[in-house]
Amino acid sequence: MRTKPLSSLLALSLLGLAMGQAQAQENSPENHHSGGDNAVTSGTGFNPAISVILDGVFSRSSREVEEPAGFGDGDEHGHGHGHGEEGHSHGVEEGFQLREAELVLSGPVDPYFDMMVQVGVTPSEVELEEAYLQTRALPYGLQLKGGQFLSDIGYINKQHIHDWDFVDQPWMREFLFGDEGLSDTGVQLSWVAPTAFYSRFGLEVLEGDNEGVANYVGEEEVSLSSVNQNPDGTPQPVEFEADNGLEDKSGPRLFTAFAKFAPDLGYDRALQLGVFGGHATLYQEQEFHSDGELETLEGDSWFAGVDAVYKYSGGGAMGQGDFTLQGEYTLRTKELKFTERSFINSEEFGPPEEEVDLRFKQDALYVQGLYGFAPRWNAGVRVDAAGLTNDSFEGSEPQDAGASFRYTGQVSFAPTEFSRIRAQLSYNDLDHGHEDDHGHEPGAWQFFLQYNLSLGQHGAHAF
Amino acid sequence: MIRFSLLGLLMLLSGLSQAAVNIAATVPNMGMLAREIGGEHVQVTVMAPPGRDPHYLEARPSMMAALRRADMVVSVGAELETGWLPAAIQGAGNRELVPGKKGYFEGAAHIKRLNEGQQADRSRGDVHPRGNPHFYLDPQRMATVGQALAEHLARLDPDNRDDYLSRATAFRQAVEEQLPQWRSQAAGAPGALLYHGEPDYLMALLDVPVVGYIEPKPGIPPTARHLSTLVGELEGRQGVVLYTDFQPGKGPDFIHRKLGWPTHQLPIQVATEADRDAYFAMIRQWVEAVQP
Repeated sequence: MRTKPLSSLLALSLLGLAMGQAQAQENSPENHHSGGDNAVTSGTGFNPAISVILDGVFSRSSREVEEPAGFGDGDEHGHGHGHGEEGHSHGVEEGFQLREAELVLSGPVDPYFDMMVQVGVTPSEVELEEAYLQTRALPYGLQLKGGQFLSDIGYINKQHIHDWDFVDQPWMREFLFGDEGLSDTGVQLSWVAPTAFYSRFGLEVLEGDNEGVANYVGEEEVSLSSVNQNPDGTPQPVEFEADNGLEDKSGPRLFTAFAKFAPDLGYDRALQLGVFGGHATLYQEQEFHSDGELETLEGDSWFAGVDAVYKYSGGGAMGQGDFTLQGEYTLRTKELKFTERSFINSEEFGPPEEEVDLRFKQDALYVQGLYGFAPRWNAGVRVDAAGLTNDSFEGSEPQDAGASFRYTGQVSFAPTEFSRIRAQLSYNDLDHGHEDDHGHEPGAWQFFLQYNLSLGQHGAHAF
Repeated sequence: MIRFSLLGLLMLLSGLSQAAVNIAATVPNMGMLAREIGGEHVQVTVMAPPGRDPHYLEARPSMMAALRRADMVVSVGAELETGWLPAAIQGAGNRELVPGKKGYFEGAAHIKRLNEGQQADRSRGDVHPRGNPHFYLDPQRMATVGQALAEHLARLDPDNRDDYLSRATAFRQAVEEQLPQWRSQAAGAPGALLYHGEPDYLMALLDVPVVGYIEPKPGIPPTARHLSTLVGELEGRQGVVLYTDFQPGKGPDFIHRKLGWPTHQLPIQVATEADRDAYFAMIRQWVEAVQP
């Protein structure tokens, strides 16, 4: 959903209005009850809780930073993958960049539902990041979520920019699932077991529209305008238009499952272990070349992974001495039929010129550690790896892509819990051991400065 | 045979859950109060340990596990636990504990709060628009909250209503018994410089003037400029500097060097399994500390 900057302004001013009202309510005398049975916790004062999160980045890199080998659309052949829609990118651009202003509204709708809406506004577009309802009255520790939401698979997938411990997200989330991670429309059923240690299980049934694991194109006409020459030499415009031959299939097309376990390690330590997986019953890509050749990929995909988070909090002042270690691994396979066809006349494609079954198998992982070295300060390091297993194809040709690694360090200062500034340095070792077209190891340094501020009433963060 | 033992297991499980009201308390002082009021009818788990700043905790899986199994959550409220309790309750998926249900109890809702209705503008620091939440260091207000808790527990467990109410009365009587002694001990104390607003209620109870705060604004660490301003203001006066176990001693030490005021680092929460006597002993530590 793209709109003009004007509407983002409008959205912001509407929000301002809403916040002003919430403040006014807050200060009105009838709210100054003392005693009585009312709860005075947050969330009853502001209803809904409204916050704006502002995130800006300045960045410089030693050279253009490409995707990890085997994960990009590849610059040299400029694929357009025909994604139905292009979400705004959480990627980082050179120079000054206002990454986004996130507007978050959440709260109980009635005794039965909670609702949450998060809108990302950038200078050029407005995008619905999440909008869902969640039950609050189901028995036995069951919860049902519906709408558009970030999947609960793994640990970092459902985090937003302001939750990240680094300027950018791990490669695993970005390149196996997409800029927005695994975000989709559907329903989720989860269950917290009444066990002494924390355990939670969930199933998600999703539409299946995710560029990483469930790319969907559907049946559509592809067209091409060309110019032929008449026998007398005059130009003759020709329209080619034909069906892409891909299947139209309404959702749900993506199914995921996850489980999380957290033994009780006392007050100072917490450990959470998770496993997750998913299956997309349909994955499609198409690429239409200007010479009238259509390449399509169609099949299904699987992914599976594990996640682990360990946190130590010794109770030092403002995060001093706190330590977090977290890591995740995901393997993704796509079994796709590659088909290449060309127009035989202006209204149809000929029989496949090439038809071959391909098996893409790729993985990615990251491990990161964060340490509060002084009150309000923390430092972190992260190692990303992508393509340790890297069976990918360019057209129908196997790509000789090696593993890529990224090493990142960051230092951040949080004056209060509502503001944070961060400096980060990354080194990208792309396609390790392979030289690029110019005979270089394709490595790149990146430097970032970031600020992240939150204004208003923001819901508490989940673990 | 199998069916029989399964039935037995079910009976055992339901029997267990009926034996006691399972309470998840946010901080140790609230856990102490729940145990005092509930007696043998309750089983209390404390989610946040003593020695931690309850503002800055994180929702953790162990809290969610405790809340999942709880019949009731006993919190301080007034936004003290706002950074973690709502997320922990949601993560627990326990419908009985959401605000408005019988299983949700917030102490601050039952007392008159200091600084209520102050301007909710965070340029003034981490202010609580609903008032100072730290009533748990005020034994008198704890007694009031204890009474409310007894009523609340009686709604969950009507059979033991009388017991809850008489235990609340006993707690109040014990406080009233101690109070004259605390007050006389603190009488005439010239003033206390606090780190943050946690002891505000107790100082008011003891009639000890609060002469300032080490923090320039709530939640903002002391700056050199603010500390020298304090020294300038308090020069030539008598007083004490009081701060708690999770607050750094640098600012208090600076005041001590400049003004010669004694400093005391004291707990604001009892141990997780502590009883009323331990709570009173902690209050006594504060009472003894206010005289320079």
